[in-house]
Amino acid sequence: MKKTLGAALLSLAATVPVADALAQAAPRDTLVVLREYDADRYDPARSTARSAGEVIYMMSDTLVSLDFDQKTLKPGLAESWTVSEDGKLYTFKLRRDVTFCDGKKMTAADVVYSINRWVAPETRSPVKWRAGPIKEVRATDDYTVEYELTEPFGELLYQLSLFFASIVDKDTVEKLGANFGVQGFNGTGPYCWQSWTPRQDLVLTKHPNYNWGPPVYQNRSPQIGKVIWRIIPEANTRLAALQTGQGDITQYIPPFAVAQLQRVPTVKVSTQPNYFWDFFLGFKVDKPVVSDPVIRQAVNMAVNRDALVKAVFFGAADPADAYVNPNTLGYDAEAAKLMPQFDLEAAKKLLDEAGWKPGADGIREKDGQRASFNVYGIQSAEWRRMTEAMQADLRRVGIDLRIQLWDATVAWGKLATQEFDSFVMSYPYISATDGFALYFDGANRPTPNRMNWNDEATNKLLATAKTALSAEERAKAIAEVQQIATRNNVWFPIAREKLYVAAAQRVEGARAHGIYGAGLYKGLDLRLTR
Amino acid sequence: MLRHVFQRLLMTVPVMFGVLLIGFLLMQVVPTDPAIVRAGPTASAELVQEIRRELGLDQPLYVQFGIYLWRLLQGDLGVSIINNVAVTQELGGTIGPTLELMFASLFWSIPIGIALGTIAAYWRGSVLDRFVTALSVAGGSVPVFFLGLMLIWVVGFQWQWLPFTGRGGPLWTVEGWQSIALPALTLGGVFIAPVARMTRTAVLEVLGAEHVRTARAKGLTERAVVLHHALRNALIPVVTLIGLQIGFLLGGAVVTETVFSWPGVGRLAVGAILSSDFPMAQGTIIVLSLGFILVNLVVDVLYVALDPRMRGG
Repeated sequence: MKKTLGAALLSLAATVPVADALAQAAPRDTLVVLREYDADRYDPARSTARSAGEVIYMMSDTLVSLDFDQKTLKPGLAESWTVSEDGKLYTFKLRRDVTFCDGKKMTAADVVYSINRWVAPETRSPVKWRAGPIKEVRATDDYTVEYELTEPFGELLYQLSLFFASIVDKDTVEKLGANFGVQGFNGTGPYCWQSWTPRQDLVLTKHPNYNWGPPVYQNRSPQIGKVIWRIIPEANTRLAALQTGQGDITQYIPPFAVAQLQRVPTVKVSTQPNYFWDFFLGFKVDKPVVSDPVIRQAVNMAVNRDALVKAVFFGAADPADAYVNPNTLGYDAEAAKLMPQFDLEAAKKLLDEAGWKPGADGIREKDGQRASFNVYGIQSAEWRRMTEAMQADLRRVGIDLRIQLWDATVAWGKLATQEFDSFVMSYPYISATDGFALYFDGANRPTPNRMNWNDEATNKLLATAKTALSAEERAKAIAEVQQIATRNNVWFPIAREKLYVAAAQRVEGARAHGIYGAGLYKGLDLRLTR
Repeated sequence: MLRHVFQRLLMTVPVMFGVLLIGFLLMQVVPTDPAIVRAGPTASAELVQEIRRELGLDQPLYVQFGIYLWRLLQGDLGVSIINNVAVTQELGGTIGPTLELMFASLFWSIPIGIALGTIAAYWRGSVLDRFVTALSVAGGSVPVFFLGLMLIWVVGFQWQWLPFTGRGGPLWTVEGWQSIALPALTLGGVFIAPVARMTRTAVLEVLGAEHVRTARAKGLTERAVVLHHALRNALIPVVTLIGLQIGFLLGGAVVTETVFSWPGVGRLAVGAILSSDFPMAQGTIIVLSLGFILVNLVVDVLYVALDPRMRGG
């Protein structure tokens, strides 16, 4: 009997090796990036997810690049560009030393092909509008591209800095067909596609010729031999992996862990004040109850935004005191001043004066209608807590918020319907015009303009904000749009997420960027000390 | 014996059909439109409709199921609607790691479970018995994810003895052995309790049987009596239980694989379901169900092999 037990214990002991032999640091010259979820594919024209973009930025380049301030455009594959006086013709002069990962030279023909592919109907890109109203994109010689529009589009250069506008190799796209970005990729970025095991690892290797990185970095070429993008869905496992050297860097940090990580001596956390990813509640303005501007204003006054954000994000987000981040291009300070301030008594008074009187159960009523509306959103711990906090605050002024959060797989379908009165979501943007043109243009109803906001003045101003030739005129128009939206309380802005990038001790040069949510962007200054 | 195996194999056909049908219907019950998932949140209604047509989702349900079955019979599980990869290809890469994990979990947990149960039965009522019983209750009560997180916290994080993120390599390599240790300890940890409990009960019953008394009367050593006469006879219900529990182990593997980022079928199933990847989710359901059915088949065969009395029936 003793022998039997001893054998069993020995077999157990065999699984517990000695500590020193098993330090689990990733291999030298290999950066392991930890993240929460994978992308569906890595095709710039077809992918919209942040998880796709963050990798595509490393595998490919865009004509122009964006500095860390998220406002200054810098050269990318185009070393210079000019804009015609009528704002309709952009002429890009390309670098002559750029090659794809397979060694082939990149020329103007590749740029023309990539942009045309992006906007082609058969590509079915959900974000082709970002390319602007293209008339024609043509190569006038091997290194000059003319990008002609039917009308001016002031946002064009910013849009062309996003990963959707990445330049890809025509031959590889045509060879792989629907499997481009699934079974392979050929771009001009600092790292090249090696392999992808969906929902597990995506491996990139250094692009040996690359030395044309954007001048926003100290280094113009990659400093690391291999980058592995590893999926670790469980947050605790991910953070423990970072601290034990099983991973090197991550931007997927749950809010509750940010402060803790900042205190860990072996982890370096960088942040980015110019990070534009906001959380908001939008009202479907043609639905009963929330169609009343008084209700929308009262909601904006009754919810204690500061307390909510502090309780939910533990300091990892700022209360959104305006529709867009103050550091955003096109932000209007005057519109921000129009935001109703938190004031419970004033909210009650406002509702009283508008005829919304408390009913028997404390919920207000007017003309036989209860001050009750539902909210749809994506199921997550953060949204659950945020909507519950709003529900509790609104109850105090006699408004009933009915929460209906859906699993992420269902939510987007639900958010495309007309079933809900209000909705909550978060989104990335690069400028005020970028965000407002997407969500407030009447032509974009019912999605992505889920508020059904269709205001003639807004539509005209948005057109001006996009097409006016002078920057002042564009700024004035988008400022007015912000004021209209704020005055009408179309949204209840909630929070502005902060971007944190946490890096292990052996990683140097980690600096959070945040373009379209991508924390590492090109990652050219990243290097490993051991 | 062969006839018995053949009969059992035949019985798996309607079971598998039921699994396929239920799996298919469950996916329809979920109020998700895979076309919207594929098109993205900013896509237009026209684009969503076009994708729906392309995926065949505009067809009546029975047509969709019929097409699905026909393709399945040809070994075609379809392609992922998320990333266009063939389901068989992605499944092929995950079955191995799951089998490895199951094997490693059972490798250590079954001997320990049987040993603990036998010890508890032999020294019934002793402190050792109470300790084993308490351990069994605790083991049976601890959720898999909690045990996994605790092992990560203590062994992986505090002591930094073992890795806990993914698979380091095949089981026969040092990296592979290291990376599977914690997931296997987790999955096997919750397996010990039921095995120990069942062994204890079965051995207790057999120890009081006449043939054991006879063996003792013949002057055999206690070791021979317990191991050869008591334990061997007690193993029949234990094997049955192990077979049934392996099915539940497949469920535990889903959680364990997620916690440890283990690239197995369980994690693929979670990922597929969360991303509304219907073909992939159905593929994982087929594999997991088939695994469950096969394990039960093996148990049935083992049962007959262990108990000659069953052969006649």
